[in-house]
Amino acid sequence: MRGISVLNGRYAVTMDMYPLQSKEFNRIYKFYDHLREGRFTTTKCNDCGVRSFPPRVICPECLSENLEWVDLPTEGTVKVVTEEVVGVPLGFENPLIHALIDLEGQLTHFARIINCQTGELKEGDRVKMAVFPVDPVPVDGKRGEFVEMERVFYAFEKVK
Amino acid sequence: MERNVCIIAGGMSQWGVRQASQRDVFQEAGKACFETIPALSNKDVDGLIVASAYTERCSFQTHLAPVIAEYLGIKPRNICARVELLCASGSSGIILAYGLVKAGIADVVMVIGGEKLYTPQRWEIQYSELASVDHDWDGSQGLGLPPPAFSMVAQQHMKKFGTTEEQLALVSVKNRRNGLNNPKGQFQQEITLEEALSAKAIVPPLKLYDCCPVTDGAAAVILACEEKAKYYTDKPLVYIKGTGQATVNNMSANMPDWTTWEALKIAAKQAYEKAGVKPSDIDVAQTHDCFTISEIIEYEDLGFCEKGEGGLFIQEGRSDFGGVVPVNTDGGLLSCGHPFGGTGIRQGMEIMKQLRGEAVRQVEGARTGLTHNLSGFIAAHTVLIYGRDI
Repeated sequence: MRGISVLNGRYAVTMDMYPLQSKEFNRIYKFYDHLREGRFTTTKCNDCGVRSFPPRVICPECLSENLEWVDLPTEGTVKVVTEEVVGVPLGFENPLIHALIDLEGQLTHFARIINCQTGELKEGDRVKMAVFPVDPVPVDGKRGEFVEMERVFYAFEKVK
Repeated sequence: MERNVCIIAGGMSQWGVRQASQRDVFQEAGKACFETIPALSNKDVDGLIVASAYTERCSFQTHLAPVIAEYLGIKPRNICARVELLCASGSSGIILAYGLVKAGIADVVMVIGGEKLYTPQRWEIQYSELASVDHDWDGSQGLGLPPPAFSMVAQQHMKKFGTTEEQLALVSVKNRRNGLNNPKGQFQQEITLEEALSAKAIVPPLKLYDCCPVTDGAAAVILACEEKAKYYTDKPLVYIKGTGQATVNNMSANMPDWTTWEALKIAAKQAYEKAGVKPSDIDVAQTHDCFTISEIIEYEDLGFCEKGEGGLFIQEGRSDFGGVVPVNTDGGLLSCGHPFGGTGIRQGMEIMKQLRGEAVRQVEGARTGLTHNLSGFIAAHTVLIYGRDI
Protein backbone atom coordinates (compact mmCIF):
# COMPACT_ATOMS: atom_id res chain seq x y z
CA MET A 1 0.00 0.00 0.00
CA ARG A 2 1.48 3.28 -1.12
CA GLY A 3 -0.02 6.41 0.40
CA ILE A 4 0.08 8.20 3.71
CA SER A 5 1.98 5.85 5.98
CA VAL A 6 0.38 7.18 9.14
CA LEU A 7 -3.06 6.35 7.72
CA ASN A 8 -1.90 2.77 7.17
CA GLY A 9 -4.05 2.19 4.08
CA ARG A 10 -7.14 3.81 5.58
CA TYR A 11 -9.66 5.40 3.27
CA ALA A 12 -10.41 9.13 3.79
CA VAL A 13 -14.21 9.00 3.49
CA THR A 14 -14.56 12.78 3.70
CA MET A 15 -12.87 13.06 0.28
CA ASP A 16 -15.46 10.79 -1.35
CA MET A 17 -17.41 12.34 -4.20
CA TYR A 18 -20.63 10.42 -3.51
CA PRO A 19 -22.84 11.13 -0.50
CA LEU A 20 -23.08 8.89 2.54
CA GLN A 21 -26.33 7.01 2.14
CA SER A 22 -26.98 4.73 5.08
CA LYS A 23 -29.46 5.36 7.89
CA GLU A 24 -26.60 6.01 10.31
CA PHE A 25 -25.35 9.00 8.35
CA ASN A 26 -28.34 10.43 6.51
CA ARG A 27 -31.97 11.09 7.36
CA ILE A 28 -32.97 10.98 3.66
CA TYR A 29 -31.59 7.45 3.20
CA LYS A 30 -34.94 6.42 1.68
CA PHE A 31 -34.05 8.37 -1.47
CA TYR A 32 -31.23 5.88 -2.08
CA ASP A 33 -33.43 2.91 -1.14
CA HIS A 34 -35.89 4.14 -3.76
CA LEU A 35 -33.11 4.44 -6.36
CA ARG A 36 -32.41 0.74 -5.84
CA GLU A 37 -36.08 0.10 -6.71
CA GLY A 38 -35.72 2.21 -9.90
CA ARG A 39 -37.68 5.12 -8.41
CA PHE A 40 -36.56 8.76 -8.55
CA THR A 41 -38.17 10.45 -5.57
CA THR A 42 -38.22 13.57 -3.47
CA THR A 43 -40.13 15.05 -0.55
CA LYS A 44 -43.40 16.98 -0.54
CA CYS A 45 -44.84 18.95 2.34
CA ASN A 46 -48.19 17.66 3.62
CA ASP A 47 -48.93 21.03 5.26
CA CYS A 48 -48.27 23.61 2.52
CA GLY A 49 -48.06 21.28 -0.48
CA VAL A 50 -44.66 22.48 -1.73
CA ARG A 51 -42.55 19.79 -3.39
CA SER A 52 -38.80 20.28 -2.94
CA PHE A 53 -35.79 18.92 -4.73
CA PRO A 54 -33.41 17.69 -3.46
CA PRO A 55 -35.29 15.88 -0.65
CA ARG A 56 -35.36 17.46 2.80
CA VAL A 57 -36.10 16.79 6.43
CA ILE A 58 -37.94 20.11 6.78
CA CYS A 59 -40.03 22.00 4.24
CA PRO A 60 -38.00 25.05 3.07
CA GLU A 61 -41.24 26.96 2.49
CA CYS A 62 -43.15 26.55 5.80
CA LEU A 63 -40.53 24.68 7.91
CA SER A 64 -42.93 21.80 8.57
CA GLU A 65 -41.50 18.34 9.28
CA ASN A 66 -44.66 16.70 7.96
CA LEU A 67 -43.21 15.47 4.65
CA GLU A 68 -43.97 12.55 2.39
CA TRP A 69 -42.02 10.84 -0.38
CA VAL A 70 -43.32 11.39 -3.92
CA ASP A 71 -42.15 10.04 -7.26
CA LEU A 72 -40.56 12.20 -9.97
CA PRO A 73 -40.55 11.17 -13.64
CA THR A 74 -37.64 8.90 -14.56
CA GLU A 75 -37.79 9.98 -18.20
CA GLY A 76 -37.37 13.38 -19.75
CA THR A 77 -36.40 15.43 -22.78
CA VAL A 78 -32.98 16.95 -23.47
CA LYS A 79 -32.87 20.75 -23.68
CA VAL A 80 -29.10 21.44 -23.83
CA VAL A 81 -26.10 19.08 -24.12
CA THR A 82 -22.57 19.84 -22.86
CA GLU A 83 -19.50 17.76 -23.63
CA GLU A 84 -16.53 18.38 -21.32
CA VAL A 85 -13.28 17.35 -22.95
CA VAL A 86 -10.73 19.02 -20.64
CA GLY A 87 -10.72 19.12 -16.83
CA VAL A 88 -12.90 16.08 -16.15
CA PRO A 89 -12.68 15.19 -12.43
CA LEU A 90 -11.17 11.88 -11.43
CA GLY A 91 -13.84 9.19 -11.26
CA PHE A 92 -15.75 10.41 -14.33
CA GLU A 93 -15.31 9.30 -17.94
CA ASN A 94 -13.76 11.58 -20.58
CA PRO A 95 -15.53 13.15 -22.38
CA LEU A 96 -17.94 13.87 -19.56
CA ILE A 97 -21.38 14.55 -21.00
CA HIS A 98 -24.13 16.45 -19.22
CA ALA A 99 -27.56 17.56 -20.29
CA LEU A 100 -30.19 19.95 -19.04
CA ILE A 101 -33.21 17.67 -18.89
CA ASP A 102 -36.87 18.59 -18.70
CA LEU A 103 -38.50 15.89 -16.56
CA GLU A 104 -42.00 16.17 -18.02
CA GLY A 105 -42.34 19.76 -16.79
CA GLN A 106 -41.89 18.75 -13.15
CA LEU A 107 -38.17 19.44 -12.73
CA THR A 108 -35.31 20.75 -14.84
CA HIS A 109 -32.25 18.71 -13.93
CA PHE A 110 -28.67 19.26 -15.12
CA ALA A 111 -27.41 15.70 -14.98
CA ARG A 112 -24.66 13.38 -16.14
CA ILE A 113 -25.34 11.26 -19.22
CA ILE A 114 -23.72 7.83 -19.25
CA ASN A 115 -23.32 5.21 -21.98
CA CYS A 116 -23.12 7.99 -24.55
CA GLN A 117 -20.59 8.98 -27.21
CA THR A 118 -19.57 12.52 -28.17
CA GLY A 119 -22.04 13.98 -30.66
CA GLU A 120 -24.61 11.25 -29.99
CA LEU A 121 -27.06 13.18 -27.81
CA LYS A 122 -29.09 16.07 -29.25
CA GLU A 123 -31.72 18.54 -28.13
CA GLY A 124 -35.13 16.87 -28.10
CA ASP A 125 -33.78 13.36 -27.43
CA ARG A 126 -35.46 11.29 -24.73
CA VAL A 127 -33.39 10.16 -21.73
CA LYS A 128 -34.15 7.90 -18.79
CA MET A 129 -32.70 7.53 -15.31
CA ALA A 130 -29.94 4.92 -14.92
CA VAL A 131 -28.96 3.67 -11.45
CA PHE A 132 -25.48 2.26 -10.94
CA PRO A 133 -23.48 0.96 -7.99
CA VAL A 134 -20.68 3.10 -6.57
CA ASP A 135 -17.83 2.01 -4.29
CA PRO A 136 -18.97 1.01 -0.81
CA VAL A 137 -17.62 2.98 2.16
CA PRO A 138 -15.90 1.16 5.02
CA VAL A 139 -17.62 2.17 8.27
CA ASP A 140 -16.09 1.59 11.71
CA GLY A 141 -17.92 -1.27 13.40
CA LYS A 142 -17.65 -2.57 16.92
CA ARG A 143 -14.35 -4.06 18.11
CA GLY A 144 -12.43 -2.50 15.21
CA GLU A 145 -13.88 -4.43 12.27
CA PHE A 146 -15.25 -2.65 9.19
CA VAL A 147 -18.78 -2.78 7.87
CA GLU A 148 -19.21 -2.00 4.17
CA MET A 149 -21.79 0.71 3.40
CA GLU A 150 -23.21 -0.28 0.01
CA ARG A 151 -24.03 2.66 -2.26
CA VAL A 152 -25.75 3.51 -5.52
CA PHE A 153 -26.15 6.69 -7.51
CA TYR A 154 -27.97 7.84 -10.62
CA ALA A 155 -27.34 9.46 -13.96
CA PHE A 156 -29.37 9.49 -17.16
CA GLU A 157 -28.93 7.67 -20.47
CA LYS A 158 -30.38 7.99 -23.93
CA VAL A 159 -33.57 6.05 -24.64
CA LYS A 160 -32.65 3.92 -27.65
CA MET B 1 -23.61 56.28 14.88
CA GLU B 2 -23.04 55.35 11.26
CA ARG B 3 -19.68 56.38 9.87
CA ASN B 4 -18.36 56.82 6.36
CA VAL B 5 -15.95 54.06 5.35
CA CYS B 6 -12.98 54.43 3.00
CA ILE B 7 -10.71 51.99 1.20
CA ILE B 8 -7.24 53.39 1.81
CA ALA B 9 -4.68 50.82 0.63
CA GLY B 10 -4.34 47.73 -1.53
CA GLY B 11 -1.69 45.33 -2.74
CA MET B 12 -1.34 41.84 -4.13
CA SER B 13 1.17 39.04 -4.38
CA GLN B 14 2.34 37.75 -7.72
CA TRP B 15 -0.54 35.61 -9.07
CA GLY B 16 -0.09 32.48 -11.15
CA VAL B 17 1.35 28.99 -10.74
CA ARG B 18 3.43 29.86 -7.72
CA GLN B 19 6.44 28.14 -6.21
CA ALA B 20 5.19 29.25 -2.82
CA SER B 21 2.95 28.12 0.04
CA GLN B 22 -0.39 29.53 1.20
CA ARG B 23 1.26 31.52 3.96
CA ASP B 24 3.97 32.78 1.57
CA VAL B 25 1.46 34.40 -0.79
CA PHE B 26 -0.53 35.92 2.09
CA GLN B 27 2.67 37.47 3.46
CA GLU B 28 3.52 38.89 0.03
CA ALA B 29 0.05 40.41 -0.36
CA GLY B 30 0.06 41.90 3.14
CA LYS B 31 3.45 43.50 2.64
CA ALA B 32 2.48 44.88 -0.79
CA CYS B 33 -0.61 46.44 0.78
CA PHE B 34 1.24 48.05 3.71
CA GLU B 35 3.87 49.44 1.33
CA THR B 36 1.22 51.57 -0.37
CA ILE B 37 0.43 53.43 2.87
CA PRO B 38 3.67 54.36 4.65
CA ALA B 39 2.00 56.27 7.49
CA LEU B 40 0.13 53.17 8.65
CA SER B 41 1.94 50.26 10.29
CA ASN B 42 0.79 46.72 10.91
CA LYS B 43 0.36 47.74 14.58
CA ASP B 44 -2.36 50.22 13.61
CA VAL B 45 -4.68 47.54 12.23
CA ASP B 46 -7.35 46.65 14.80
CA GLY B 47 -9.30 44.11 12.75
CA LEU B 48 -8.41 41.35 10.31
CA ILE B 49 -10.73 39.47 7.98
CA VAL B 50 -9.22 36.63 5.95
CA ALA B 51 -10.99 35.33 2.84
CA SER B 52 -10.15 31.85 1.62
CA ALA B 53 -12.21 28.96 0.31
CA TYR B 54 -9.88 26.02 -0.10
CA THR B 55 -7.65 26.51 2.94
CA GLU B 56 -8.73 23.27 4.61
CA ARG B 57 -8.72 21.22 1.43
CA CYS B 58 -5.48 22.44 -0.16
CA SER B 59 -3.41 23.52 2.83
CA PHE B 60 -5.03 21.43 5.63
CA GLN B 61 -5.31 24.67 7.63
CA THR B 62 -8.40 25.83 9.46
CA HIS B 63 -8.46 28.77 11.96
CA LEU B 64 -6.59 30.66 9.26
CA ALA B 65 -7.07 34.28 10.40
CA PRO B 66 -4.81 34.04 13.48
CA VAL B 67 -2.16 32.34 11.33
CA ILE B 68 -2.15 35.26 8.90
CA ALA B 69 -2.30 37.81 11.75
CA GLU B 70 0.80 36.27 13.31
CA TYR B 71 2.67 36.19 10.00
CA LEU B 72 1.85 39.84 9.22
CA GLY B 73 2.57 41.11 12.74
CA ILE B 74 -1.04 42.18 13.19
CA LYS B 75 -2.60 41.96 16.66
CA PRO B 76 -6.32 42.47 16.00
CA ARG B 77 -8.51 43.62 18.89
CA ASN B 78 -11.95 43.88 17.33
CA ILE B 79 -12.30 41.12 14.77
CA CYS B 80 -10.03 38.28 13.62
CA ALA B 81 -11.90 35.72 11.53
CA ARG B 82 -12.14 34.02 8.15
CA VAL B 83 -15.01 34.33 5.67
CA GLU B 84 -15.81 31.92 2.84
CA LEU B 85 -18.09 32.35 -0.17
CA LEU B 86 -15.88 30.61 -2.73
CA CYS B 87 -15.29 33.04 -5.64
CA ALA B 88 -16.86 35.92 -3.70
CA SER B 89 -15.02 35.33 -0.41
CA GLY B 90 -12.95 38.48 -0.89
CA SER B 91 -15.84 40.84 -1.56
CA SER B 92 -17.77 39.21 1.29
CA GLY B 93 -14.83 40.12 3.54
CA ILE B 94 -14.97 43.72 2.31
CA ILE B 95 -18.71 43.94 2.98
CA LEU B 96 -18.26 42.59 6.51
CA ALA B 97 -15.34 44.93 7.24
CA TYR B 98 -17.39 47.83 5.84
CA GLY B 99 -20.25 47.00 8.21
CA LEU B 100 -17.98 46.73 11.23
CA VAL B 101 -16.22 50.01 10.52
CA LYS B 102 -19.48 51.79 9.66
CA ALA B 103 -20.97 50.63 12.96
CA GLY B 104 -17.93 51.64 15.02
CA ILE B 105 -16.97 48.11 16.03
CA ALA B 106 -13.57 48.46 14.37
CA ASP B 107 -11.63 51.43 12.94
CA VAL B 108 -8.92 50.03 10.65
CA VAL B 109 -9.51 46.59 9.14
CA MET B 110 -7.35 44.65 6.74
CA VAL B 111 -9.22 42.30 4.39
CA ILE B 112 -6.82 39.79 2.89
CA GLY B 113 -7.76 36.83 0.74
CA GLY B 114 -6.24 34.21 -1.46
CA GLU B 115 -5.68 30.58 -2.29
CA LYS B 116 -2.94 28.05 -2.80
CA LEU B 117 -4.61 25.76 -5.33
CA TYR B 118 -1.72 24.03 -7.10
CA THR B 119 -0.66 21.00 -5.09
CA PRO B 120 1.95 18.39 -6.06
CA GLN B 121 -0.80 16.23 -7.57
CA ARG B 122 -2.59 18.16 -10.34
CA TRP B 123 -5.66 15.89 -10.27
CA GLU B 124 -6.53 17.22 -6.83
CA ILE B 125 -7.64 20.57 -8.26
CA GLN B 126 -10.46 19.16 -10.39
CA TYR B 127 -11.37 16.64 -7.72
CA SER B 128 -11.48 19.22 -4.91
CA GLU B 129 -13.83 21.42 -6.87
CA LEU B 130 -16.56 18.81 -6.50
CA ALA B 131 -16.98 20.57 -3.13
CA SER B 132 -17.75 23.94 -4.70
CA VAL B 133 -21.24 23.01 -5.89
CA ASP B 134 -23.91 21.13 -3.90
CA HIS B 135 -21.65 18.19 -3.15
CA ASP B 136 -24.27 15.50 -2.64
CA TRP B 137 -26.35 16.40 -5.72
CA ASP B 138 -24.41 18.40 -8.32
CA GLY B 139 -20.90 17.29 -7.32
CA SER B 140 -21.87 13.64 -7.61
CA GLN B 141 -23.03 14.33 -11.19
CA GLY B 142 -19.45 15.41 -11.96
CA LEU B 143 -20.37 19.09 -12.06
CA GLY B 144 -17.55 20.35 -9.86
CA LEU B 145 -15.53 22.40 -12.30
CA PRO B 146 -17.76 25.10 -13.76
CA PRO B 147 -17.17 24.86 -17.57
CA PRO B 148 -20.16 22.54 -18.29
CA ALA B 149 -22.57 24.93 -16.57
CA PHE B 150 -21.22 27.98 -18.40
CA SER B 151 -21.21 26.09 -21.71
CA MET B 152 -24.89 25.40 -21.12
CA VAL B 153 -25.48 29.08 -20.29
CA ALA B 154 -23.55 30.17 -23.41
CA GLN B 155 -25.50 27.81 -25.67
CA GLN B 156 -28.80 29.13 -24.35
CA HIS B 157 -27.72 32.78 -24.60
CA MET B 158 -26.54 32.22 -28.18
CA LYS B 159 -29.79 30.52 -29.13
CA LYS B 160 -32.04 33.06 -27.42
CA PHE B 161 -30.23 36.30 -28.28
CA GLY B 162 -27.97 35.47 -31.21
CA THR B 163 -24.75 35.95 -29.25
CA THR B 164 -21.78 34.62 -31.25
CA GLU B 165 -18.56 32.76 -30.50
CA GLU B 166 -16.72 35.78 -31.86
CA GLN B 167 -18.42 38.05 -29.32
CA LEU B 168 -17.39 35.65 -26.55
CA ALA B 169 -13.81 35.68 -27.83
CA LEU B 170 -13.74 39.49 -27.94
CA VAL B 171 -14.21 39.58 -24.14
CA SER B 172 -11.08 37.51 -23.75
CA VAL B 173 -9.12 39.60 -26.28
CA LYS B 174 -10.07 42.80 -24.39
CA ASN B 175 -9.28 41.43 -20.94
CA ARG B 176 -5.96 39.94 -22.06
CA ARG B 177 -5.06 43.36 -23.48
CA ASN B 178 -6.10 45.05 -20.22
CA GLY B 179 -4.02 42.49 -18.33
CA LEU B 180 -0.90 44.15 -19.66
CA ASN B 181 -1.78 46.81 -17.06
CA ASN B 182 -1.22 44.38 -14.22
CA PRO B 183 2.33 43.02 -13.87
CA LYS B 184 1.23 40.82 -10.95
CA GLY B 185 -1.48 39.05 -12.95
CA GLN B 186 -1.11 35.50 -14.21
CA PHE B 187 -0.87 36.41 -17.92
CA GLN B 188 0.86 39.31 -19.68
CA GLN B 189 0.31 38.16 -23.22
CA GLU B 190 -2.20 39.63 -25.64
CA ILE B 191 -4.17 37.23 -27.78
CA THR B 192 -5.71 37.82 -31.17
CA LEU B 193 -9.31 37.09 -32.10
CA GLU B 194 -8.08 34.32 -34.40
CA GLU B 195 -6.07 32.70 -31.60
CA ALA B 196 -9.07 32.85 -29.29
CA LEU B 197 -11.41 31.34 -31.89
CA SER B 198 -9.03 28.55 -32.88
CA ALA B 199 -7.96 27.56 -29.34
CA LYS B 200 -8.60 24.03 -28.09
CA ALA B 201 -12.08 23.16 -26.87
CA ILE B 202 -12.76 22.84 -23.14
CA VAL B 203 -16.54 22.40 -23.20
CA PRO B 204 -17.81 23.61 -26.60
CA PRO B 205 -18.55 26.40 -27.37
CA LEU B 206 -16.14 27.41 -24.59
CA LYS B 207 -12.51 27.24 -25.64
CA LEU B 208 -9.27 27.71 -23.73
CA TYR B 209 -9.31 31.52 -23.67
CA ASP B 210 -13.00 31.65 -22.72
CA CYS B 211 -12.11 30.21 -19.31
CA CYS B 212 -10.16 31.80 -16.47
CA PRO B 213 -7.21 29.76 -15.19
CA VAL B 214 -6.50 28.09 -11.85
CA THR B 215 -4.37 30.46 -9.78
CA ASP B 216 -2.27 30.73 -6.64
CA GLY B 217 -2.11 34.16 -5.05
CA ALA B 218 -3.45 36.65 -2.54
CA ALA B 219 -4.52 40.29 -2.32
CA ALA B 220 -5.15 42.70 0.54
CA VAL B 221 -6.93 46.00 1.12
CA ILE B 222 -7.36 48.20 4.18
CA LEU B 223 -10.66 49.84 5.13
CA ALA B 224 -10.87 52.65 7.66
CA CYS B 225 -13.39 55.08 9.05
CA GLU B 226 -13.19 58.49 7.35
CA GLU B 227 -11.44 60.14 10.28
CA LYS B 228 -8.65 57.53 10.34
CA ALA B 229 -8.47 57.53 6.54
CA LYS B 230 -7.71 61.27 6.58
CA TYR B 231 -5.08 60.69 9.25
CA TYR B 232 -3.25 57.91 7.43
CA THR B 233 -3.33 59.08 3.82
CA ASP B 234 -3.22 62.29 1.77
CA LYS B 235 -4.59 60.54 -1.29
CA PRO B 236 -8.13 61.24 -2.54
CA LEU B 237 -10.66 59.43 -0.38
CA VAL B 238 -12.55 56.54 -1.95
CA TYR B 239 -15.74 55.57 -0.11
CA ILE B 240 -17.75 52.40 -0.12
CA LYS B 241 -21.19 53.67 -1.10
CA GLY B 242 -23.39 50.62 -1.32
CA THR B 243 -23.37 46.82 -1.27
CA GLY B 244 -25.62 43.93 -2.16
CA GLN B 245 -25.27 40.18 -1.91
CA ALA B 246 -28.01 37.81 -3.00
CA THR B 247 -28.77 34.15 -3.53
CA VAL B 248 -32.03 32.63 -4.72
CA ASN B 249 -30.96 29.01 -5.23
CA ASN B 250 -27.92 26.80 -4.86
CA MET B 251 -28.51 23.50 -6.63
CA SER B 252 -28.67 23.60 -10.42
CA ALA B 253 -32.16 22.04 -10.45
CA ASN B 254 -33.49 25.14 -8.68
CA MET B 255 -32.00 27.78 -11.01
CA PRO B 256 -34.91 30.03 -12.04
CA ASP B 257 -33.32 31.22 -15.31
CA TRP B 258 -29.92 30.42 -16.80
CA THR B 259 -29.53 33.47 -19.03
CA THR B 260 -30.96 36.14 -16.71
CA TRP B 261 -29.33 35.95 -13.32
CA GLU B 262 -32.03 36.92 -10.85
CA ALA B 263 -29.70 37.00 -7.84
CA LEU B 264 -27.38 39.38 -9.69
CA LYS B 265 -30.25 41.72 -10.46
CA ILE B 266 -31.27 41.69 -6.79
CA ALA B 267 -27.71 42.30 -5.54
CA ALA B 268 -27.21 45.10 -8.06
CA LYS B 269 -30.51 46.77 -7.15
CA GLN B 270 -29.57 46.73 -3.47
CA ALA B 271 -26.15 48.23 -4.17
CA TYR B 272 -27.43 50.91 -6.57
CA GLU B 273 -30.19 51.96 -4.17
CA LYS B 274 -27.93 52.14 -1.14
CA ALA B 275 -25.33 54.07 -3.13
CA GLY B 276 -27.94 56.35 -4.66
CA VAL B 277 -26.61 55.80 -8.18
CA LYS B 278 -27.85 54.31 -11.45
CA PRO B 279 -26.08 51.94 -13.85
CA SER B 280 -25.36 54.93 -16.11
CA ASP B 281 -23.43 56.59 -13.26
CA ILE B 282 -20.82 53.80 -13.19
CA ASP B 283 -17.58 55.04 -14.76
CA VAL B 284 -15.55 51.83 -14.40
CA ALA B 285 -16.41 48.25 -13.38
CA GLN B 286 -14.66 45.01 -12.47
CA THR B 287 -17.04 42.14 -13.12
CA HIS B 288 -16.72 38.39 -12.66
CA ASP B 289 -15.37 37.21 -16.03
CA CYS B 290 -14.75 33.61 -14.93
CA PHE B 291 -15.95 32.83 -18.47
CA THR B 292 -16.44 35.17 -21.39
CA ILE B 293 -20.19 34.51 -21.41
CA SER B 294 -20.36 35.63 -17.76
CA GLU B 295 -19.09 39.12 -18.56
CA ILE B 296 -21.63 39.42 -21.39
CA ILE B 297 -24.57 38.50 -19.14
CA GLU B 298 -23.21 40.78 -16.42
CA TYR B 299 -23.34 43.82 -18.75
CA GLU B 300 -27.04 43.06 -19.16
CA ASP B 301 -28.03 42.19 -15.61
CA LEU B 302 -26.01 45.05 -14.08
CA GLY B 303 -28.02 47.35 -16.35
CA PHE B 304 -25.17 48.58 -18.57
CA CYS B 305 -27.22 47.54 -21.62
CA GLU B 306 -30.55 45.95 -22.47
CA LYS B 307 -31.18 42.22 -21.97
CA GLY B 308 -29.77 40.24 -24.88
CA GLU B 309 -27.48 43.06 -26.07
CA GLY B 310 -24.39 41.98 -24.15
CA GLY B 311 -22.80 40.54 -27.27
CA LEU B 312 -23.19 43.82 -29.15
CA PHE B 313 -21.92 45.73 -26.09
CA ILE B 314 -18.51 44.04 -26.34
CA GLN B 315 -18.49 44.00 -30.15
CA GLU B 316 -19.05 47.75 -30.34
CA GLY B 317 -16.31 48.44 -27.80
CA ARG B 318 -18.69 49.86 -25.22
CA SER B 319 -16.95 47.96 -22.38
CA ASP B 320 -13.47 49.02 -23.49
CA PHE B 321 -11.45 52.15 -22.72
CA GLY B 322 -13.24 55.02 -24.40
CA GLY B 323 -16.57 53.18 -24.25
CA VAL B 324 -19.62 53.59 -22.04
CA VAL B 325 -18.12 51.74 -19.06
CA PRO B 326 -14.65 50.16 -19.25
CA VAL B 327 -14.91 46.70 -17.68
CA ASN B 328 -12.08 44.71 -16.13
CA THR B 329 -9.49 47.41 -16.64
CA ASP B 330 -6.76 45.39 -14.91
CA GLY B 331 -7.42 42.22 -16.93
CA GLY B 332 -10.13 40.59 -14.83
CA LEU B 333 -10.12 36.90 -13.97
CA LEU B 334 -9.33 35.93 -17.57
CA SER B 335 -5.96 37.67 -17.40
CA CYS B 336 -5.09 38.11 -13.69
CA GLY B 337 -6.27 34.62 -12.75
CA HIS B 338 -8.68 33.64 -10.01
CA PRO B 339 -7.42 32.63 -6.55
CA PHE B 340 -11.00 32.61 -5.21
CA GLY B 341 -10.57 34.54 -1.94
CA GLY B 342 -8.29 37.07 -3.63
CA THR B 343 -10.45 38.08 -6.57
CA GLY B 344 -12.94 40.46 -4.95
CA ILE B 345 -10.07 42.16 -3.15
CA ARG B 346 -8.09 42.64 -6.37
CA GLN B 347 -11.22 44.15 -7.92
CA GLY B 348 -11.68 46.57 -5.01
CA MET B 349 -8.03 47.55 -5.22
CA GLU B 350 -8.27 48.31 -8.95
CA ILE B 351 -11.41 50.41 -8.43
CA MET B 352 -9.65 52.33 -5.62
CA LYS B 353 -6.75 53.10 -7.98
CA GLN B 354 -9.08 54.12 -10.80
CA LEU B 355 -11.05 56.48 -8.57
CA ARG B 356 -7.86 58.00 -7.19
CA GLY B 357 -6.56 58.54 -10.71
CA GLU B 358 -3.52 56.33 -10.20
CA ALA B 359 -4.37 53.21 -12.24
CA VAL B 360 -1.79 51.84 -14.67
CA ARG B 361 -4.23 52.61 -17.46
CA GLN B 362 -6.63 55.24 -16.24
CA VAL B 363 -10.31 55.78 -17.03
CA GLU B 364 -10.21 59.57 -17.23
CA GLY B 365 -12.17 61.33 -14.50
CA ALA B 366 -13.68 58.17 -13.01
CA ARG B 367 -15.58 58.98 -9.80
CA THR B 368 -17.88 55.96 -9.34
CA GLY B 369 -16.88 52.31 -9.71
CA LEU B 370 -18.46 48.90 -9.27
CA THR B 371 -17.26 45.39 -8.51
CA HIS B 372 -19.21 42.18 -9.05
CA ASN B 373 -18.59 38.52 -8.19
CA LEU B 374 -20.62 35.46 -8.85
CA SER B 375 -19.88 32.38 -6.81
CA GLY B 376 -20.55 28.66 -6.84
CA PHE B 377 -22.94 27.29 -9.43
CA ILE B 378 -23.97 30.88 -10.36
CA ALA B 379 -25.61 30.58 -6.96
CA ALA B 380 -24.74 33.88 -5.28
CA HIS B 381 -23.91 37.36 -6.52
CA THR B 382 -22.08 40.17 -4.75
CA VAL B 383 -21.98 43.81 -5.85
CA LEU B 384 -20.12 46.75 -4.30
CA ILE B 385 -20.17 50.36 -5.38
CA TYR B 386 -17.29 52.68 -4.58
CA GLY B 387 -17.15 56.43 -5.12
CA ARG B 388 -15.17 59.59 -4.60
CA ASP B 389 -18.37 61.26 -3.45
CA ILE B 390 -20.44 60.16 -0.50
